[in-house]
Amino acid sequence: MPETILKATNVSKQYGKHKALDKVTIEIKRGMIYGLIGENGAGKSTFMRTIMGLITINEGNIELFGKTGTKGLQQARRKMGQSIETPALYPDLTARENLQVQAANGGVSEREIDDLLSLMNISHTGKKKAKNFSLGMRQRLVIASTLITNPEFLILDEPTNGLDPSGIVEMREIIQRLVTERGITVLLSSHLLDELSQVATHYGILHDGKLILELSKEELARETSQYIELETADVPKAVVVLDEWGIRNYEVMNGTEINIYERIDDVAAINRALVLADVNVSRIGATRQRLEDFFLQLTGGTSHAQSFNSRKN
Amino acid sequence: MLNLLTAERIKLFRSKKLYIVLGILSLVPIYQAAESKMAVNHGAKLVQKLETVINGASGILMMEKNGFTILLVMSAFISFFIGEEFQNGTIRNALSLGRSRIHYYLSKFVIAALLAFVGVIVMTSLGMISFSTVLGFGEVAEISNYFLYASQTFSTLYLLILANVSVYVMISFLTKSSGISLVWSFLYTIGTGFVPGVFQQTTHFKHITFWFTESFLFYFDFANPAVIAKYPQMILVSLITIVVSSILGITIFKRTDIK
Repeated sequence: MPETILKATNVSKQYGKHKALDKVTIEIKRGMIYGLIGENGAGKSTFMRTIMGLITINEGNIELFGKTGTKGLQQARRKMGQSIETPALYPDLTARENLQVQAANGGVSEREIDDLLSLMNISHTGKKKAKNFSLGMRQRLVIASTLITNPEFLILDEPTNGLDPSGIVEMREIIQRLVTERGITVLLSSHLLDELSQVATHYGILHDGKLILELSKEELARETSQYIELETADVPKAVVVLDEWGIRNYEVMNGTEINIYERIDDVAAINRALVLADVNVSRIGATRQRLEDFFLQLTGGTSHAQSFNSRKN
Repeated sequence: MLNLLTAERIKLFRSKKLYIVLGILSLVPIYQAAESKMAVNHGAKLVQKLETVINGASGILMMEKNGFTILLVMSAFISFFIGEEFQNGTIRNALSLGRSRIHYYLSKFVIAALLAFVGVIVMTSLGMISFSTVLGFGEVAEISNYFLYASQTFSTLYLLILANVSVYVMISFLTKSSGISLVWSFLYTIGTGFVPGVFQQTTHFKHITFWFTESFLFYFDFANPAVIAKYPQMILVSLITIVVSSILGITIFKRTDIK
């Protein structure tokens, strides 16, 4: 069983009367790319900051690499790298000098600087100061800076924020490369589920400081996969026909709607069978739930998340 | 702690702020020596009690002569040096690696203290050299053992400056912003420079005046034997200020949420 890298249990953070985090429990195992999704203000950055020890928590427990307590967490954090919100760089220093500072902060050698500069494709920047870099270059420099200490666990807060489409693709490739080539475990956040779905292996959905849903890549694929949407006034009759056809994976959504999750290519045949059985079909067709719709459905109310969780169990 | 100091060294040597501070502290004594020489050439007679530095020997008092300038320059440097770490978010880079906040705070204080030390050494040396060149080395009245006097005076004046540096560091960590820190540091310097004098007007609170390092730095004549006798009191007040401000700064910084 893979080692647990992060175990946050019932972590809460309160600012005045506002609960930025409300009993958030997350477990991340080695090798995962855990995507934290939530709207702006959902608590993603706050959660990441608590993990990095940048803000104190009011309640709960954080365990990193099996260690807890102030000293234990301080030691564990030496195996971590982070980029939270805006790229944190020294604007008047060059890429190399920024890496030298971070190497000194981490107490590691500067040997890897050249490799990291070329890995992130910024070795050509020479004496150019970080303040003159494009946002994409700054993001790449930040990743290089986090890698200088050879982290085993990387926390990236909205790493594609502000990047153009090619920058987003490049950042995605970098993250995937870090996981495959260096075996790094990653916790990353975004408010775009569609974007995260291309890299993450596990997802946690935060809403109003609460973790409303956790699901794996497979579960997400299942939730957002193609299905047949059937609209009829004769739902009980239609269900009998589906059962006769051996269709088991369907869901009666309301009094007039059934979603069928199997035999997607047999829409015409199913329609014919229903008509022959005298079922009045108003509408039938294959459809796909978009990731963003799925996310909006979840964040629109916790009831869907609860129903998903109960189906899961 | 040593790792953090190494990082600070890299940042400091690549920073314009260091060269601006050293530039100002180097130019001021040369300018003052030239100005004094011109005054003498125009028939003026320099009085040590008023001018503070009138020859190479009294050049050891450059810190007293330029106390306010040194404090302003150091407060500006510290405000930017620490405030920018919060504003650029770079403070996260060190703290998220599990570095102790106490060590981070102390590394900033050590760098500010070292820069203040180098700055006042440069200022005093250039002051002594340039005043010796234009007005001769001369002597400090009523001082028989000059070397002992010079070392005691330099150390005491540096400690008085260092006490303020410690307060500026605390203010910067509390305000987390260069601009706000600059304003509060300036207000502190002005306030502690002038407000304690108010206590002198009272009967029961007179002694409070001398719990502020500026009271010594701005108003005492360090060539006066009666003032020299108060060096132990100045050292005590400076050390207490350093300890109290550092404890307060560290305690609050440890509880601060980093954005």
